[in-house]
Amino acid sequence: MFFVHEMEERIPLHPSYFSSEAPDSIRELLYKRKEGTNTGTMMIVRIIGILEISEPKVAPGTGMALYTISYRAVVWQPFRGEVVDGEVSQVVNNGFFVDVGALSVFVSKAMIPSQLKFSMEGATPSFADNEGQIVEAGSQVRLRIKGIRSELNQMYAIGSIREDYLGPLMQ
Amino acid sequence: MRLYTPNGLLYPVKVTRLLRQPGDEIEENAPLFDYEYKSKVLEGHINSKGHLEDKLVERTWPATFESELEGSLTSLNLTVGQVLTGKTLIADIEETCKHEVQFGGLCANCGKDMKEVKSYNSTVKGTDRATINTVHDRHGMHTVLVSQDETVRADEEAKRRLLDQRKLTLVVDLDQTVIQCCVEETVGEWKSDPSNPNFEALKNVASFRLPHDSKTYYLKFRPGLTDFLEEMSKYYEMHVYTMASRDYAQIVTNLIDPGRKIFGTRVLSRDENGPEMRKALKRLFPVDTSMVVIIDDRGDVWQWSPNLIKVNAYDFFVGVGDINSSFLPKRQELEAKPKQPTQFELEKAPDGVQADAPPADGQEPQGADKAARKPSAPLTPPLTPPAANGEVSAVDLMVSMAGGQDDNSMEEKKHEHDETLASQLADRPLLKKQKILDAADEEAKEGKDSPAVEEATEILREEGEKKEATPHDHPKYRHNLLQDDDTELTHLGNNLRSVHDAFFADFEKGVSAGDIGRVAELRPGKSKKQTVQDLQNLPDAAVIMQAIKSRVLGGVHLVFSGVVPLGVNVHTHDTVIWAKTFGATVTENITKKTTHVIASPERRTAKVRQAAKKGGRIAIVSSGWLFACFSQWEKVDENPFRIHSDAPLNGAAGLPGFEDKEAGTLSSSDEEAALTETEAENETDGEAVNGSQPTLEIDTDVEEELAKYAPHDGRADSSPTEEQQSEDWDALQAELNEFLGSEAEDSDAPDESDNESSALSSNNSTPGNHKRKRDAEADEAPTTNSEGSRLQKRKKEAMSRTTSLNNMSSAGNLDGAVAVDEPAAADDLGGIDEEDGDDVDLEAALAAELEKDDDDGGEAEGES
Repeated sequence: MFFVHEMEERIPLHPSYFSSEAPDSIRELLYKRKEGTNTGTMMIVRIIGILEISEPKVAPGTGMALYTISYRAVVWQPFRGEVVDGEVSQVVNNGFFVDVGALSVFVSKAMIPSQLKFSMEGATPSFADNEGQIVEAGSQVRLRIKGIRSELNQMYAIGSIREDYLGPLMQ
Repeated sequence: MRLYTPNGLLYPVKVTRLLRQPGDEIEENAPLFDYEYKSKVLEGHINSKGHLEDKLVERTWPATFESELEGSLTSLNLTVGQVLTGKTLIADIEETCKHEVQFGGLCANCGKDMKEVKSYNSTVKGTDRATINTVHDRHGMHTVLVSQDETVRADEEAKRRLLDQRKLTLVVDLDQTVIQCCVEETVGEWKSDPSNPNFEALKNVASFRLPHDSKTYYLKFRPGLTDFLEEMSKYYEMHVYTMASRDYAQIVTNLIDPGRKIFGTRVLSRDENGPEMRKALKRLFPVDTSMVVIIDDRGDVWQWSPNLIKVNAYDFFVGVGDINSSFLPKRQELEAKPKQPTQFELEKAPDGVQADAPPADGQEPQGADKAARKPSAPLTPPLTPPAANGEVSAVDLMVSMAGGQDDNSMEEKKHEHDETLASQLADRPLLKKQKILDAADEEAKEGKDSPAVEEATEILREEGEKKEATPHDHPKYRHNLLQDDDTELTHLGNNLRSVHDAFFADFEKGVSAGDIGRVAELRPGKSKKQTVQDLQNLPDAAVIMQAIKSRVLGGVHLVFSGVVPLGVNVHTHDTVIWAKTFGATVTENITKKTTHVIASPERRTAKVRQAAKKGGRIAIVSSGWLFACFSQWEKVDENPFRIHSDAPLNGAAGLPGFEDKEAGTLSSSDEEAALTETEAENETDGEAVNGSQPTLEIDTDVEEELAKYAPHDGRADSSPTEEQQSEDWDALQAELNEFLGSEAEDSDAPDESDNESSALSSNNSTPGNHKRKRDAEADEAPTTNSEGSRLQKRKKEAMSRTTSLNNMSSAGNLDGAVAVDEPAAADDLGGIDEEDGDDVDLEAALAAELEKDDDDGGEAEGES
């Protein structure tokens, strides 16, 4: 789910940037550092505004100036039970991987309806039934997130398509 | 899942009350039973004096046992009053989810976090339930791990699928097996220059770049690769398993298999392989490898897995080797590349010197060349960094194999890898070699014999590459370094097909051997029962392959000589292990059973000479023969590979080396030194013209040689003193050779049976025996008519020997090299003894020699 979220970040600025342009430099640094990253629980999609840039303080021993910046950003946070759409990136014999934005979700065989069977025909592995439903690399899939775990800057998720209205999307 | 009491309980414990019944649903940490245990504690007591005093007392405490698992309780193996004395199985709990498939620390089936330590009660880590990685995976850290049970299930499914498609699995290595890659810019330059001699060969070389890497990689397919892959994909499900990086593997796979129709996503690179430097089939097929065949140019990285078909390494970019070899254990190589006379060499002779080598002579070795060259080509020249070449000590090997365990060494490897590539970029080994070739061409044109020519010859020889047959009067011709003439894949394809056929033939047999009626009944439905039965009867591809392979060199007894580097245990050497997988028996010394000696063409070692003396029984061949057998899976004709065939018993053969000697171009002093008396004999035999001069010259060399290499290897007629009568020496020698030839064959026969051999050893003392033998011989020998004249010559010879015999005995003391050969000679002399009994002088001489013979012969026999 997408949110607009307010956050704070402390960023050091190298002395060579100390000039009247220092606030711009620090802004740029913030964008570079934070946009598109994963905080462990959420993904920062885009910074939409900077609320405040504090007075810098020189960090003892380094000469770097420390700015505390509070900013507002669009973030994406997946939740357990959430239904999301994604693109299948790889199919293996015990399930398939779906890229939901930057999150990689694994859908295991137990979470796939039993009529979808694994096949290796033509060397492209896929899960397919006889009624035209097919899950192969590149197809769009709607799934429910069954579990999420986050480690430092990383998120793992397990998905399921074993429910009504879930599974491969018709193009 | 079974529930055990943990080791940490204060045993013995006594069950006092059961809290749950089988069939109950239990949640995590639910109490299962009450128990009591005893322990000693300090308690304060007031003693008789009224003081407080600590006292150790044993007390019984009550406690409750809680289940760490959740699910439904299927059985509870406890009774009230039971005393548990150690870790005991107490219950069986059917879990709702066994967490058998995990992804990123999550159970893929229920979504629970497996890395979380659930409670104070857990004894088993959630992540321990699924530890096997079976996916060739792009996800790096987030791999899908599965449990043993799940793996078995998946494996069965995969096998059923393969059986339905009538396919086996083929694991393919990339570098030097199906392709070769290099980063040398020279290739790019040559490729865009049509005037370059290598232009033709480079036409279909592809180039690519890796992300985050400025180097251009040049990729050469092994000839026939596209057809090979296409053909094989009908019989095999193909996997890539390489020690290259993920990016490299993906790009190369895309190049050799555009559209990924053949390999799909089944690409495993070193990024997924973990820190080890070996490849393990278990990584991809953890349960059963009975339907897997591997092709790789390295046997050691697979620990010579029985599923492996080792192929001859593809070496197109000469001197480059495998650019990813830093991630592999060091490669053992044969010490000496088999030197084959190259076209270049043959060509040079007429150019450089005015030798009149007739074209017929040139052609014969050429034809042999074509066959011989290819298999020997894969003996790669040293890799660019010298470190990767040559003898690899066992310690080194172990260090390098064990070293790959931690990240640091992986870093080191990467560093080493980068350095290798950098040095390749900087040094441009290909360009250098081509320059040498060009220089040599120039020189050759001017009719000079120069160091450059020598060097170029050396290079060509090292490569063992076939040079295109070009008329040497072609003025513009420059020799091209790169050759595109590999046929390995053709043979490999055939072999793989025959493995496939044999496997399914066996499989069908297994199925029909089972309950035919039932199978037939079940077949249409493809019921599970039937396939399970199929799986039980599944033949093993490894066994089938071994059976096919061991027929190839079955009954062949090999001796390696001058091929395996000194100081290396023969039986651990790659080539030797490889030969053994084909059913050959390898011994260190020549024995009665030896059938082939694999030797180096440059060096005539003691073993070669020994083998030559056994007559035609032992084939002396270059290692090219062995590689041809390996590649074609059949015992190929030895004749094109025979070397040192100028040994006396095989008659004079037009070996190129021999001609070179005649022309006097290539006879370096080394080679001269390596000459032995047998060669010398032969020379004089064939070409009576230069008889005395070279033989005398060689004489000293021979002595040295023998002293060095051949302590008990020699023959009566090989005594150096013999050279003294050079007048009728040639004629005598010819006849003697012939005579000995028949004798030697005879004397070989007893080797087969102990019975006769003992008879033979005693034949000096029992003339009757002799007579018989002699008669039999006379019947056999076609030359019986000339016996009289021959004997006279012999007599003469022996007369003049009387003096030389004295010399000989002193020489014999020196080195024992003159030690007279075993029964053959003894027999021979005995024969003379018998028929010319009146010749006293001769007899005395012979007696002296005979005495010696007896000693030596006895020794020799004891050994053989």
